[in-house]
Amino acid sequence: MLAPVLQVLQFALLIAAAVAVLEGWLHYHFTRWEKSWFLPAGVLGTVTLVMAGAAASAGGLVDPGRMLSLGMGTAAAECLVALFFKHVVRGRHSLPIMLLAPAALGLGLLIAYPLVFEVYLAFHDLKLTTIMAWSRTGELPFVGLKHFKKVFTSSPLSEVSFWQLFLRTVWWTFINVFFHVAGGFVMALLLNSVTRGKGLYRMLLIVPWAMPQVVAVLAMRGEFHSQYGFVNVMLAKLAAWLPFLGDLGVGPVQWLGQHPFLTCTIINVWLGIPFMAVVILGGLQSISRHYYDAASLDGASAFQQFRMITLPLIRPVLAPAVTLGTVWTFNNINVIYLVTGQAGGTEDADILVSALYKAAFAFYRYSYSAAFALIVFLILFTFSMVWLKWSKGTESHYD
Amino acid sequence: MTERGARTAGLLTSQAILKAHHRREALKTALVHGALILACAVCVYPLLRILAVSLRPGDRIISTDLSIIPQGATMVSYARVFAETHFLFWLWNSLVITVATSLVGVALASTAAYAFSRFKFPGQRLGLSLLLGTQMLPAGMLILPLFLMIMRLKLMNTYLGMVIAYSVSSLPFSIWILKGYFDTIPRSLEEAALVDGTSVFGAFYRIVLPLSTPALAIAFLFNFTQAWNEYLVARVILTDSYKYTWTLGLFDLQGQYLTQWGMFAAASLLVTIPVMAVFLYSSKWLLTGMTLGGVKG
Repeated sequence: MLAPVLQVLQFALLIAAAVAVLEGWLHYHFTRWEKSWFLPAGVLGTVTLVMAGAAASAGGLVDPGRMLSLGMGTAAAECLVALFFKHVVRGRHSLPIMLLAPAALGLGLLIAYPLVFEVYLAFHDLKLTTIMAWSRTGELPFVGLKHFKKVFTSSPLSEVSFWQLFLRTVWWTFINVFFHVAGGFVMALLLNSVTRGKGLYRMLLIVPWAMPQVVAVLAMRGEFHSQYGFVNVMLAKLAAWLPFLGDLGVGPVQWLGQHPFLTCTIINVWLGIPFMAVVILGGLQSISRHYYDAASLDGASAFQQFRMITLPLIRPVLAPAVTLGTVWTFNNINVIYLVTGQAGGTEDADILVSALYKAAFAFYRYSYSAAFALIVFLILFTFSMVWLKWSKGTESHYD
Repeated sequence: MTERGARTAGLLTSQAILKAHHRREALKTALVHGALILACAVCVYPLLRILAVSLRPGDRIISTDLSIIPQGATMVSYARVFAETHFLFWLWNSLVITVATSLVGVALASTAAYAFSRFKFPGQRLGLSLLLGTQMLPAGMLILPLFLMIMRLKLMNTYLGMVIAYSVSSLPFSIWILKGYFDTIPRSLEEAALVDGTSVFGAFYRIVLPLSTPALAIAFLFNFTQAWNEYLVARVILTDSYKYTWTLGLFDLQGQYLTQWGMFAAASLLVTIPVMAVFLYSSKWLLTGMTLGGVKG
């Protein structure tokens, strides 16, 4: 039990040291830029820091040639940075930059750098057979656009094609968001119309959302088991009670084997409705009663009231929730992977992002999946831009 | 006389109408409650089924029985979870990784959010849009390069590797929430403190941070739930069963053999109950934070 605690302490110290070095370095550049010794001392200090860091992370085993080139590179870069601080920055904006620096460094190292690395991977060839050589030398053969072409010409997994995945993703996103919003509306309208027990209902209704997703999905997956799952047990009982339903074909279904996509969709709809319901309920409660009173005095029907009052007034709440929901659904690896991801699992439910994950970590096609990831990124980016433009356009319509 | 008769009749019919109206309302209320009860059942039943499976005795784990408290209910599965799996290790690993991640995440987010909220500097708008832009990256896109980086740094199967992989994933969102909250705190408070001789950082640390406890709690909670429930990154970085987080452990329990369902169910319930308690308690604020971030975006 002691070792983990030590590991955590060590980790905390490491982070604190890194932040201290970063802030010290910035502080020097923001406050000493007027001094005549600013440039040489800065170069000397930075090179020492980088060399020490490199030696520490390599565990003392350093290649002198590499260290020399690292030192030279650092010195050159630091010269430029120091000149920039001396002549352009001149000590301005020191506080916000120093406050931002740790987060910016973290995001840079763990989001921006991996993105660049992903682009590098996509144009080179890293797969199971080259990964050992790569981890020794760090060098990979350049293959150009080969992987990008392969994404469209061969299957990202073993059978399903890119375009099938693409269409399935669109369909998956649309149908899930549709049922989330529709179901959420029904729940919220029902909840909004009761006075007694509202808190209790609300608490019970958000159970699927409150459960850890892994537990919820795995439990639901169990309920779709062909023999012992709740769904098939109920279907079998139904067919036994009402034989004419059995004659119509109602009965146990091979959910996971034959209808994995439908199973995933049902599970995800079940998971997603509570969030929408709570968001919409919040919106409904902010709409003043008076609008409805006035409308019913004028003889508006319930449906007219819904269309003319509820929908437009709930739009500011609903629009961001739908945007979020769409991106979440598009990006939902969890449900599909947890339901179908076991060894020998089916590909009939995979969408783009889950195929991306499987291509890398079940089929070990690293470079291929990097190229695939960039293509999926372009798709999502284009969609987001179009969506933002469009939703901005309709917003002004209402304002 | 006739006039009075007509008035009574009118009164009577209006009473009848009122009665019918009440009856219709009562019926409507009953229907609404019925629908809500049905919906609640659909939402809660899978959780109750986990309870049912976890209580089943060893020879009846696999069965088509639908009752919630099964015949011969025992706690054997719970005992087996602790005795036969590394469940306590999994919980401990998850806890260490999650707490470390959340602390790092909130610390980084609070200073960055303060910079965005209180200062004007070149690149501010660009920085905020880039933060939003990170939310448009496809899920799983960064797992591959992160995995390769962590492998080269020889941090596979370590807490440090996991914390590195998790620490910034919730950062953009946390920064947005905290910036939104800091924007609502009047600057005059800090100005007064500055006049009294505190440094800018002192004003941030002694005045803004204590006033922002609710928002900090939301950000911490958000980081916490994200890391606590994470599965996909952990699957790639942790291969040693002693180093597993609970999500990996549960997946393997549920996947392998039907006979382990009892243990899977027991472990699920043990993990779920504290998480749900915290979630139900805090869901109101969590939601406000989310929609706040969304609307401001």
